[in-house]
Amino acid sequence: MFADESPDWNFDLSGSVTCEVCGDEPATMHLLKVVDGIVSHTHLCPGCAEEAAEQTDGLALVLAVPSVLRNLGRSPVAKESGPVVPSDADDRFCAVCGTTLSDVRESGLVGCANCYQVFAEYLEALVEAGAEPKEHLGKMPQRGPETDILRHEIMRLERMLRELVACERFEEAAGVRDRLAELGERLEGGPE
Amino acid sequence: MTFPVITASAVGLTRNVSGRRFPHAEDAPALEELRTEIVEVLGGDSWEHSWQVYDVESMTTVQIDHLVERGLMTPTFADCAGMGRGFAVYGEGQASLEINGDDHIRLLGFRPGGQLAFVWSLLNRLDDRLETVLSYGFDPRWGYLTARPKLAGSGMRAYATLHLPALTLTGRLAGTAVELARLGLGLAGLWGGAGGVVQVSNLRPLGKPETEILQQIGDISRGIVEKERSVRKMLLRDNPIQTRDQIGRALGTAQHAWTMSFHEAVNLISAAQVGMELGLVEVPGMAAESAFGLMSRLQSAHIVTDHMDGRTGCLESPEIDEHRARVLREVFAGAWVRP
Repeated sequence: MFADESPDWNFDLSGSVTCEVCGDEPATMHLLKVVDGIVSHTHLCPGCAEEAAEQTDGLALVLAVPSVLRNLGRSPVAKESGPVVPSDADDRFCAVCGTTLSDVRESGLVGCANCYQVFAEYLEALVEAGAEPKEHLGKMPQRGPETDILRHEIMRLERMLRELVACERFEEAAGVRDRLAELGERLEGGPE
Repeated sequence: MTFPVITASAVGLTRNVSGRRFPHAEDAPALEELRTEIVEVLGGDSWEHSWQVYDVESMTTVQIDHLVERGLMTPTFADCAGMGRGFAVYGEGQASLEINGDDHIRLLGFRPGGQLAFVWSLLNRLDDRLETVLSYGFDPRWGYLTARPKLAGSGMRAYATLHLPALTLTGRLAGTAVELARLGLGLAGLWGGAGGVVQVSNLRPLGKPETEILQQIGDISRGIVEKERSVRKMLLRDNPIQTRDQIGRALGTAQHAWTMSFHEAVNLISAAQVGMELGLVEVPGMAAESAFGLMSRLQSAHIVTDHMDGRTGCLESPEIDEHRARVLREVFAGAWVRP
């Protein structure tokens, strides 16, 4: 069976939340305490969360989930976090379903596949949280166009190339680069 | 007697049909049309088992909750009230399918024990079969597109249910939760944390293949349960009287109570299970049934369905607590504490 999703996992929290204990660091952890049947929520920075974890004793259940606040701290929602999204971002809307950027910010929901293109910058910042960019890995639709498979393979090889260069394994990197060029040509030629 | 590391395994797989808006942004006729289309696919003859399709709108609260309690429906879907919703169960309950919840399709699989790979394998096959007819929304960068971008990617979330009463009681679960959070995994109480029954799940389906996620959850679960077992032994070594007292009292209550809330029942069964694993008590009534199985069938909708002929529409009735206590008395009738 499936545990209830905590409503706090949605994107609709204010981006300016700071740690409830120290008040300085951005809150990136969400601690859920159940003591004698009473549930309490606290948003904390990793340092304070660790401290809270160590100090908890007795009949207390403390659960922590990585809050989306982690993302929000670096996302366009927190306006002071930097010019990730152009200033006219609020006017953006999806021509297919009518969803606006404000809608996405408020509900955490996009309306259709096209929204992923329209709000790409916002969503990238939200999901990646400043970490190494991640692309989909794993199962792919069997009925998808060949270009999807090619683009996916290109992204995978690009990531491999970055890692090989970082490890100074240049000979292997050259091989991957050649394969990338070959796939790039096939992609430009369109599906056969 | 051996006890499983993972108490139960569940997997959810989210998909959307390409060329259509996600349910919350779609109009009612289009959602109805999609539901009909999907139900027709389920009615095809190439499935290994047949699908039983439910009319969600005409179901009672007890019937809906019974599906949630069996792990066939998510609480989120049970609580939402969108248009064009549909629901179907595969075979004897090996899998189920939610239509037009947050997303067009959510395939669900649930099995007792450490069966994550098995559940994923089944859902993967069902997904492949659905895809022979339906075309999925997919992007090479984002993977399978979902209404919630944080769930895009493989669209898979896997849940391992663990029984961690000692880590819970000693407050050590907090440290574990912080460690898990660093790895992109979440920890949530299954029944509000009662009995130390928790679920470990992946929070981000993007950037990792399904099998790698399952492997990670399995490996981490083994580590956590190992820690749980060593804390139990430590509790018995350092506080033998208190530990025996708590477990003995749980047995006494289970044997003699005449009314019992679900949360109290879970706590008592949890304590009895720890007692059995530490060799402190014998509960013959639980020899053929796992603690998790017993907890599951003491949930309110189960009690109403199994013991009251479904004859109450209210899941808060005192009568349910009386039936629950009776079942518990029967199970614990021959239980005894080792000297």
